[in-house]
Amino acid sequence: MTIQIPGRVKISPLAKRLAGILAIDVKNIKGTGPNGRIVRADVEKAKGAKQQTASSSSSVPSQGINAYAYADGLRMPYDAIPNSGMRKVIAGRLAESKRNAPHFYLTIDCELDELLTLRKRMNEAANVKVSVNDFIIRAVALAMKKVPAANVSWMEDAILQYKDIDVSVAVASPNGLITPIVKKADTKSLAQISTEMKDLIARAREGKLKPEEFQGGGFTISNLGMFGIKEFAAIINPPQSCILAVGAGEARAVVKGGAVVVAQVMTCTLSVDHRSVDGAVGATFLAAFKELIEKPFGLVNWNNL
Amino acid sequence: MTGTSDLIVIGGGPGGYVAGIRAAQLGMKVTLIEREHLGGICLNWGCIPTKSLLRSAEVLRQAQHAAEFGVSAGNVTFDLGKIVARSRKVAAQLSSGVQFLMKKNKIDVIEGSAKLLGGGKVEVTKADGKKIELTAKNIILATGARPRPLPGFEADGKLIWTSKEALIPQALPKSMLIVGSGAIGIEFASFYRALGVDVTVVEVMDRILPVEDEEISALARKAFEKQGMKIYTGATLKKCDKKTDQVTVTFEVAGRPISQTVDRVIVAIGIVGNVENIGLEATKAKVEKTHIKTNEWSATDEPGLYAIGDVAAAPWLAHKASHEGVICVEHIAGLADAHPLDLTRIPGCTYCAPQVASVGLTEAKAKAAGFDVKVGRFSFIGNGKAIVLGESEGLVKTVFDAKTGELLGAHMIGAEVTEMIQGFVIGQTLETTEKELMHAVFPHPTISEAMGESVLSAFNRALHG
Repeated sequence: MTIQIPGRVKISPLAKRLAGILAIDVKNIKGTGPNGRIVRADVEKAKGAKQQTASSSSSVPSQGINAYAYADGLRMPYDAIPNSGMRKVIAGRLAESKRNAPHFYLTIDCELDELLTLRKRMNEAANVKVSVNDFIIRAVALAMKKVPAANVSWMEDAILQYKDIDVSVAVASPNGLITPIVKKADTKSLAQISTEMKDLIARAREGKLKPEEFQGGGFTISNLGMFGIKEFAAIINPPQSCILAVGAGEARAVVKGGAVVVAQVMTCTLSVDHRSVDGAVGATFLAAFKELIEKPFGLVNWNNL
Repeated sequence: MTGTSDLIVIGGGPGGYVAGIRAAQLGMKVTLIEREHLGGICLNWGCIPTKSLLRSAEVLRQAQHAAEFGVSAGNVTFDLGKIVARSRKVAAQLSSGVQFLMKKNKIDVIEGSAKLLGGGKVEVTKADGKKIELTAKNIILATGARPRPLPGFEADGKLIWTSKEALIPQALPKSMLIVGSGAIGIEFASFYRALGVDVTVVEVMDRILPVEDEEISALARKAFEKQGMKIYTGATLKKCDKKTDQVTVTFEVAGRPISQTVDRVIVAIGIVGNVENIGLEATKAKVEKTHIKTNEWSATDEPGLYAIGDVAAAPWLAHKASHEGVICVEHIAGLADAHPLDLTRIPGCTYCAPQVASVGLTEAKAKAAGFDVKVGRFSFIGNGKAIVLGESEGLVKTVFDAKTGELLGAHMIGAEVTEMIQGFVIGQTLETTEKELMHAVFPHPTISEAMGESVLSAFNRALHG
């Protein structure tokens, strides 16, 4: 005889812990152990089913209209380029981010004249050639230090606020997008960031990054300025909450003291997960970032030139 | 003569007779065919008689050390004939016990050699040459296995022994070389060494007890060498020269040739399945490396034909055979809660001194399988009862999955560990994590406390370590 106690789920300790790790609701699992006890195998089976559902729903766009059938029907010639594992991961994670994280966008213009002058002087004086992007990484790191509420991840039960300032930088590689991390970027000088980024970018393109070099990070920078993109809005890199999309620096007419003058201007757009970061926090972060970019002496690590 | 039953079981060893009992419990009419004696190798020429010999060796060892416990045992001697006789008596007693069980469960036992005729038909040739034909909807093959022969070292029953001759020595050899350091080889090495025989063990792998955790293998080797065994691992056998009453065995270790002249050689390099002369060719069942291929329910490729125990896939252990028999029959009966056997949860015991017992993955195998492991270790030297018993050499090693807390494996060496391993087996079967094992209260003072401490140690919480 099986005794049923209402509300009680019969489950092995291991199955229970595994279900917790996999975030599977045990109430929906049918137990195959003695007297219907849920055992590990049942949770693993449920995990398989969940993954299947997830993968079939992530391919909803392609299922909505079958591109093969569509192109075949219209006799559109094509090559089917098989998706690499990395491509599938990028597709899955970004689709999940855009679907689950309610994005909002904040855009700000930053004048670069002083930064460009400083960069020129520094590069003339030192061996290391510091790029505009290195300045941006350091400015993001110091702004995050000032506004730690932007260095967070949303979880159902808590917002995780990271103690280290780890900045992910989106890099295009032949296999697809990858985001190597400048760890504890707030503690590193421009020259250190520059050296580190050159190494990370080179190895990212060769596919030689170690997992710990691209897994993690609390904030991402995506810079398409080198392609002349004026401004764009990026998709948040989960489980982070913010990504800064950086456009090209260009000469624009700006009004200063009632007169139109020419200035080098760069437009940046911050994409924010509204579950974990509110508008005011995002705006405070962007203002701090702008301040650092426009008054770049604050970016120089005077103790460690 | 012909007969029809629901199930025919071919082979009356621990796989076959247990399958028969379970089938009878589920209301099937069962016929069991046995060509030699009920209980199979396990009961008559394997597990049971070797344990009897090893028990005698243990009593001898205790008596020899009696003075350490303040007991005078005088001049301790032994009588090999009586040791062997006791072993045979124990086996005979248990074999008749199986006979009783067959009767109690109304299982029809036929003595004879069985041959499959295909389509659920079996021909039995009795001792007197008479043939009978039997039919059943389902047939379970449980024909067991026999020692694997080693080319150039073919057993002759005189100078070169298999386990069978080693179980019934007429006289005690002065020296002995054992080829193979698995459970069987090591148990004979332990027994004969205890009786004072000069024992050499030669193993092809890089360590003795090669299926055990590496740490346990190393501790076992140290203990055996301390007892005076000579052990060669990573050895390649070259040749064997038989003389009138001695054998010279030549083998190579790291390119260096070694010759040993001994009175007797025991070959214990594993087993081969008894797949010949049972009519497999009349069926679709496939044989791979002398063992019958089966699925998770022990079904062969021939509908209605099953194979369990040593004639099927590894591990070749009596308790695996019995369990497979039960599961196979429950599957045939269509029981809803029948589950395939989880091969990672089958314990293994070796009754040498010190004993070795284990279940699940070794540390190396767990790591190779991609687990992030937490390893616990507790030595007997920190256990009160072990000191009381004068058995302070031993180790309990536990291997956990760091992510889920699952007990992946447990590996023990020392006194009584073969009786203790079941604690971890039950834990694994109930799917406990380290938390439940930490909540379990181990009685004081027992050696089993070392099991609890080993679990704590895996999570840096050992109290006495």
